[in-house]
Amino acid sequence: MYSLIVKQFIRSKTVMVTTLLILILGVVSILIGDQFLAKQEKAIAEVTRHQQEHIARNVSWIDKEMGLLLYYLRFALINSPGNLTALSIGQRDVNSGIQNVTIRNLEGQRYDTDLYNPTSLQSGNLDFGFVIIYLFPLLVIAFTYDLLSEEKEKGTWRLVAIQSKSVRGYLLKKLSVRALLIFIALLLLFTFATVKLSLAINETLMAFAVLGFLYLVFWLALCFWVVSWQRNSSFNALTLLSVWVVLAILLPASVNNLVANLYPVPEALSTMVKQRDGYHEKWDMAKGPTMDKFFAHYPQFEKYTLPDDDFSWLWYYAMQQMGDDESRQQSEAMREKIMQREKASSTAALFMPTMHAQLLFNDLAGSSLENHMKFLDHTQAFHEKMRMYFYPKIFEGASVNGVDWQQFTPEYFSEKPEINWGQAVLPLLVFIAGFSILAAVNLKKIKVA
Amino acid sequence: MQRGSVLLIAKHFWLNTFRSRAIFPVMGIMVFVLAYAAYSGWKSYTTHNDIRMHYQQEARKSWESNPDKHPHRMAHYGSFAFRLKHALSMFDFGLESFTGNAVFLEAHKQNTVNFSEASFSTGLLRFGEISMAMILQVILPLVIFFLGFVAVAVERENGTLKIILSQGTGWKEILIGKSLGLMGLVMLFFIPVILVMLVLLTTADGGLTADVWLRYAGIVACYLVFYVIISVITVLVSAVSSSSKDALIKLLAVWLFFFIVLPRTTQALGSYFYASPSKIEFEAAVEKELIQAGDSHNPDDPHFRHLKDSVLQAHQVSSVEQLPFNYSGFVMREGEKLSTHIYNDHLKELQQIYQKQNGITRIAAAVNPYIAIKNLSMTLSGTDFESYISFQGQAEEYRYRLAQKMNELQMELISNKKPGPDDKPHTISREHWKEFEDFKYKFTSIGTALRSEWWSIFSLVSWGVASVGGLVYLSKKVKSI
Repeated sequence: MYSLIVKQFIRSKTVMVTTLLILILGVVSILIGDQFLAKQEKAIAEVTRHQQEHIARNVSWIDKEMGLLLYYLRFALINSPGNLTALSIGQRDVNSGIQNVTIRNLEGQRYDTDLYNPTSLQSGNLDFGFVIIYLFPLLVIAFTYDLLSEEKEKGTWRLVAIQSKSVRGYLLKKLSVRALLIFIALLLLFTFATVKLSLAINETLMAFAVLGFLYLVFWLALCFWVVSWQRNSSFNALTLLSVWVVLAILLPASVNNLVANLYPVPEALSTMVKQRDGYHEKWDMAKGPTMDKFFAHYPQFEKYTLPDDDFSWLWYYAMQQMGDDESRQQSEAMREKIMQREKASSTAALFMPTMHAQLLFNDLAGSSLENHMKFLDHTQAFHEKMRMYFYPKIFEGASVNGVDWQQFTPEYFSEKPEINWGQAVLPLLVFIAGFSILAAVNLKKIKVA
Repeated sequence: MQRGSVLLIAKHFWLNTFRSRAIFPVMGIMVFVLAYAAYSGWKSYTTHNDIRMHYQQEARKSWESNPDKHPHRMAHYGSFAFRLKHALSMFDFGLESFTGNAVFLEAHKQNTVNFSEASFSTGLLRFGEISMAMILQVILPLVIFFLGFVAVAVERENGTLKIILSQGTGWKEILIGKSLGLMGLVMLFFIPVILVMLVLLTTADGGLTADVWLRYAGIVACYLVFYVIISVITVLVSAVSSSSKDALIKLLAVWLFFFIVLPRTTQALGSYFYASPSKIEFEAAVEKELIQAGDSHNPDDPHFRHLKDSVLQAHQVSSVEQLPFNYSGFVMREGEKLSTHIYNDHLKELQQIYQKQNGITRIAAAVNPYIAIKNLSMTLSGTDFESYISFQGQAEEYRYRLAQKMNELQMELISNKKPGPDDKPHTISREHWKEFEDFKYKFTSIGTALRSEWWSIFSLVSWGVASVGGLVYLSKKVKSI
C-alpha cells in the first residue's frame, strides 16, 4: 500500500516541480545569507583597518593636546553576527552592528544609522527564515489540499473505501508520505546551510531546526483539518490560501500597525533635542554649576581644579558629559518604550504561529530588536570605559606619546541567546494538538458515499 | 458586438456571484481590513506629524533663545530637520517606515537621518504593513482571482457555455461581459476606499490643494487601469482552462509568483549585482578625498597654506590680523565649501548605486504590472525613493546655508584680533539667530514625481492595451469544449 501511495504521489509532475522550486529558493536564500555574512565581515575588516590608520594619523598631527586629540578619535564596538544570523537576517539590515564613537556626548552618536537602501529594506530579505515561514506552508498546502477531494473527483474514492481497512488510516498514510517529502526537503536545506555556512551544531541550531520542523507540522495539521471537512478541491485551495494570507500577511501586518500606533516613540526625538541643549547651553553659563554637576557624577575627579583660562578641556568634557546626563531620562524612556513594543509583539505572537516563528528565529539568530537594544546598552558601557580611561589623562594633560595607541583595536560584543524551550515549543504544540483532534473528530463521521 | 448581451452577461455574472454567497465572507473580511487600514493610516499620519511639528518648534525655540554669542558656537549648536509625512501617505505608506525621520544639522558634519520606524520594529515589519494601498495592490487582486476563476470555466463545466454560444452570443461578448461583471465587483471594494480616502484627505494639514487633487486623480486612474488588467487576465485564464479547479490553481500560482516571490527576488538581484559600500567604507572614502584636497584641521595642510598666502597677497597685507575680515571665519567658509562638495559627490554616487539596485525591480514592471502600480502608487503618494532623496537633499542644503551664514557673520562681525585674557569674548547679537529662518520641508511636485516613474506608467498602459488586445485575440481562438 505504502509504496503505491509513494509512487502515485511522486509521479505527479506538479509535485516534482514545486519541490524542486522550493529547494532552489531555499539554496538561494542560504546563499543570500552567506553573502550578508561576507558583507558584514568585510565591513568589520574595514573598520579594523580604518581605526588603526585613523588613530595613527591623528596621533601624529595632534601630539601635544590630549583633549583635542580625543575630540577626534573614534573607537569601534562591533556586534559580530554569528553564522546563524545568515538564516534569519531579521533587524540586522536596519540596525547597524558597528558603533564608532568618540568619547564625547554619546546620545548624539549611538543612534546613528547605517547606510542602506530603503527600497531593499521594504522588499525584505529573502532569507531562509522567509522560505520556511512563507514558502514551505504553500508547499504544504499544494501537497495536501486535494488529499481527499482528488479521490472523490477522480472517482477512486469508493474503490479506496472498499479496499482499505480504514479510510482514516489510508488518509493518514497519504498525509505522511507528503509530510515525509516536505521534511526531507527541509532537512536537505538545513544540511546544506550547515555545511555552506559552517554552522556550529549546538543547542541554538537544534532549536532553530526543531522550531522550523514544528512550524511545518502545524501547517500540516491545519491543512489536514480543512481536508477533513470533505469539501471539493477548489474550496480547499481557496480556504487554505486565504488562511495563509491571513496568517502570513494580514494578521502580522495588522499587529505591526497596532504596535506602531500604540507605542509611538517621540522620546527618540526628545532625546535628540535634549542632548544638544544639555551640552550646548553650558557654553553660555557660569562654569561653576556645570563643574559641580560633573563632580557630583564623578567624585573621583574632584581633585582636578579648573584653570583660570577661558577654555579648558576639563570644562569642555564636563559640558559634553551634561549632554548625556541631562538627556538620560528621555533616553531611558525611549528604551522603555521600545521594550514595551517588544513585549506586545511577542505576546501577540503566542497566538500566531507565523509571528512566533519569525520572532524566535530572530532571537536565535541574534538579529532581534532585543539583541540590538543590548548592543546599545553595551555601547554605553564601552563608551564609559573609554571615558574613564581617557578623562584622567586629559585632565592631567598627560603626554600623547605616553599612551600605547596600538592597544585600541575594535572591541566585540556578542550575546548567546537564551533558549526557553517551553515558551518556544508550547504554542505550536497546542495548535498542532488542537487541529489534529478536530480533524480526527471530523474523520470519525466520514461517509464513503 | 451586441451591447445588450454584453451587459446581460455582466449582470448575470454579478448576480451569480452573490447567489453563491462565497462573496459575503470575503466582503466581510475586506471591509474590516480596509477600515482598519484607513484608520491606522490616518492615525499614523496625524500622530507622527504632530510629534514632528512639535519637536521642530521646540528645537526652533531653543535656537532662538540662545543669548549673544560667537557665531561659530551657533554653527555647532546646529538645527534639526524632521521629515513631515505627505497627506497621501495615509493611503500608501510606501517607504515611510524604512526611511529616517530626524537629522541633526551642524557645521562640518553631515549626520545620518535617524529613527526610522523600522529601527524600532520588532521584526514584524517584515510581514509588511496594512495600508489602503497594500490591500488594493496585493489583496484585492487575490480577491478578484477568487471571485473570477469560475467566470467562464464553470459555464463550460455546467454545459451552459454551449447554450449561450448556440444562442448567437459570440466569445467576444462573453469575455467582455464577464470582465465587466468582474470589474463591477471590484468597484464594490474600490469606490468606498477612494471615498474614504477623500474624506481623510480633507482632514490633512493644508487640506485639499490642487497638488493633492491631482495626485488623488492619478491614483484613481492608475488603479482603474490595474484592475482592468487583473480582471481581464482572470477571465482569460478562466476561459482557457479545462476546469474551474485548473483555472484557480493557475491564478493562485500567478498571484504567488508575481506578487510575493518576484518582487523580493528582483530586489535581491539588484543588491547582488550592484554592491553598495558599507558606512565605514563610505566615510573612509570621503575622509581620504578630503585629506587629499585639503584638511583645514591639519596645521601643515598645503591647500590652506596656499590659500592664506594668496589672500594676504590680494589684500596687500602681511598678516591675517590686518585683513578687513575675520580670517578664521574665511578659512571655515572655504573648508565647509570643500568638504560639502566632496561629501555630496560621494552621496550622489551612493544614491546612484541604490537607484541601480532598484532598477532591476523597476524594469520588471514591464513583466509584472503589480510592480508598476506599486511604484506609481508610492510616487503619487509622495512616499517613494525620490521623495526621500529630496528630503535628504533639502536638509543638507539647509545645513550648508546655516553653516555658511554663521561663517559669514563671523567674517563680517568678529574682530580679527584674539581677545586678551581680560577682554570679554567676541560675541554678536542674538537678533541674528532669529533672522535665520527655520527648516521647512517642501514636498516634490507631482510633475517631477511622475517624470521619475515614466517607465511604470508606460508598463501599466502597455499592459492595459495588451490585456484588452489579448481578449479580442482570444475571443477568436478559444473553443467551447
